[in-house]
Amino acid sequence: MAKAHEKKTLNGKTLRKSFNNWFFWNGCSQQAESMLGMAFGQSMAPVIDELYEKKEDKAAGLRRHITLFNTESQVGSVCNGIAIGMEEQLANGVGTPEAIQEAKVALIGPTSAIGDSLWVATIIPLLLTICLSISSSLAETPWVGPLIYIIVYPLGTYLLSWKIFQLGYRAGLEGVQRFMVSGQLDKIIRAVTILGLLVVGALTASFVTANLNIDIKTATQVFDEATQAYIPGSISVFNLDKLLNTVFPKIVPLALTIFVYWLYTRKNWKPIVIMLLILVLAAVFTAVGYIPGIGAFVG
Amino acid sequence: MTMAQVILIALFIYLGAIGSIVGNTIGWYCLGRPLVASFVVGIIMGDVQTAMIVGIPLQIAYLANVTPGGAVAWDLSYATYLGTAMALAMRTPDISNEALIGLAFTGAGIGGVIGGTMWNVHYALNVLLNRWAERIALNGDAKKMWMPNLLGGQLIGFACRFIPAVIVLLAIRAGASQGINIPSWFITGISTFGSMMAALGMGIILSFLIRKKYDWAIFLIGFVLVTYFSLGTMAVAVIGVLAAIIFYQIIDRKEVA
Repeated sequence: MAKAHEKKTLNGKTLRKSFNNWFFWNGCSQQAESMLGMAFGQSMAPVIDELYEKKEDKAAGLRRHITLFNTESQVGSVCNGIAIGMEEQLANGVGTPEAIQEAKVALIGPTSAIGDSLWVATIIPLLLTICLSISSSLAETPWVGPLIYIIVYPLGTYLLSWKIFQLGYRAGLEGVQRFMVSGQLDKIIRAVTILGLLVVGALTASFVTANLNIDIKTATQVFDEATQAYIPGSISVFNLDKLLNTVFPKIVPLALTIFVYWLYTRKNWKPIVIMLLILVLAAVFTAVGYIPGIGAFVG
Repeated sequence: MTMAQVILIALFIYLGAIGSIVGNTIGWYCLGRPLVASFVVGIIMGDVQTAMIVGIPLQIAYLANVTPGGAVAWDLSYATYLGTAMALAMRTPDISNEALIGLAFTGAGIGGVIGGTMWNVHYALNVLLNRWAERIALNGDAKKMWMPNLLGGQLIGFACRFIPAVIVLLAIRAGASQGINIPSWFITGISTFGSMMAALGMGIILSFLIRKKYDWAIFLIGFVLVTYFSLGTMAVAVIGVLAAIIFYQIIDRKEVA
């Protein structure tokens, strides 16, 4: 423990080192026992090393940071910031080791939820969608889309994650909790969700394709331009996909998407099982297309 | 595919997997995304244009595959790198775009199965590292704390990704040189599957986004803007940003009032 007259403050370089350890290597040793525990330990090691002199103190410090920990790592860097702030206080004789442990456990839930719903499930698909749209509208230079993503996403995330880390260190547990319950965050999430919903609607209409491939034809004589004569052929009398698209364009892809949503949220089907179902449906629709008389692929 | 191309692609499969040396932000969330993966494979194999033809549908199908270790994830980098590599290696000069996409989805399917298996192996082996970390912590050896996480995690991660990837890529190379002829009904079926797979991505993303009943109406506005008004997704994204700004302001007023 420090003497009363020399207050310990962490070096800026140590903070950056701790952050980089986390930012780059948070997922290296992910497993079921301590989740991101070892990665958190690596992030805290430079801090513990600087704050404590005695070997026993270092050992105690390291041991409390390799225990079970999990979060969405990019937004979750706030947890590292908070833990570092608390370690610094502890080294100055304020607080208890137990309080640090409790704070870490308490942060797992909310930071995972915010990180997963705002960053991972909204911002990433949205940015990908924008880059995707750029790629598909630039037929000559489709590589511009991925190039923008490669630059914007990692750089933007690094800066954001570093800011959030610093926020945690400066504002501490209470400051961060105050921000989380202020409603400001909810409003941002809600506004981004509106954007996400519109874009996902557009994507569904643009890219999901599903045809029932039912096209009942009747045999008749058709005029052949090349030979200037009537030859045996067929004309369509009932095309199910055409009919449905007149009622509501792309209704089958829309129905399929909502069906997947329903299976995933209401029936708790795993994505891999839904994928197998789609494989079966694709096989059935394709097979229907080859049935003589009613299939869309045969004359 | 030359041996150098095989090794480079396998290296990127490892880099784009969960927990590689470059970190999840640059790896899993960037190099691992199908849009980026197809671009990288295109550069390695010298045909970016063709690679992007399969990259776009792959990205849409796997748009919701985002959470590392979560319910939705399997090692995506296997699926997308192998899918694009297979399409580029096995295509014939007169191949249609649909058949090309069909080939990519076949490769992605094989890659997905291997990726899922290797992720589980990686996840299980990593547990052993905890004992190493505990010993270092007990000694108060702060300078060595990086070893179990970074060194140990990387050795296991690299072995689980790079080695199987090289084996599968060599198999694809052997298949391509044999000139395997894939029947047309199979290509039709698999490309139908590919375009229907986009519904999986969209459906799962919706599960993150739908919070209130009227959210369905907002989703449908985006849908009909494309079907009735023939707008591109980029145009809808711009409208979406404007709508989000207005919405943000309205919520603001309500709280003040």
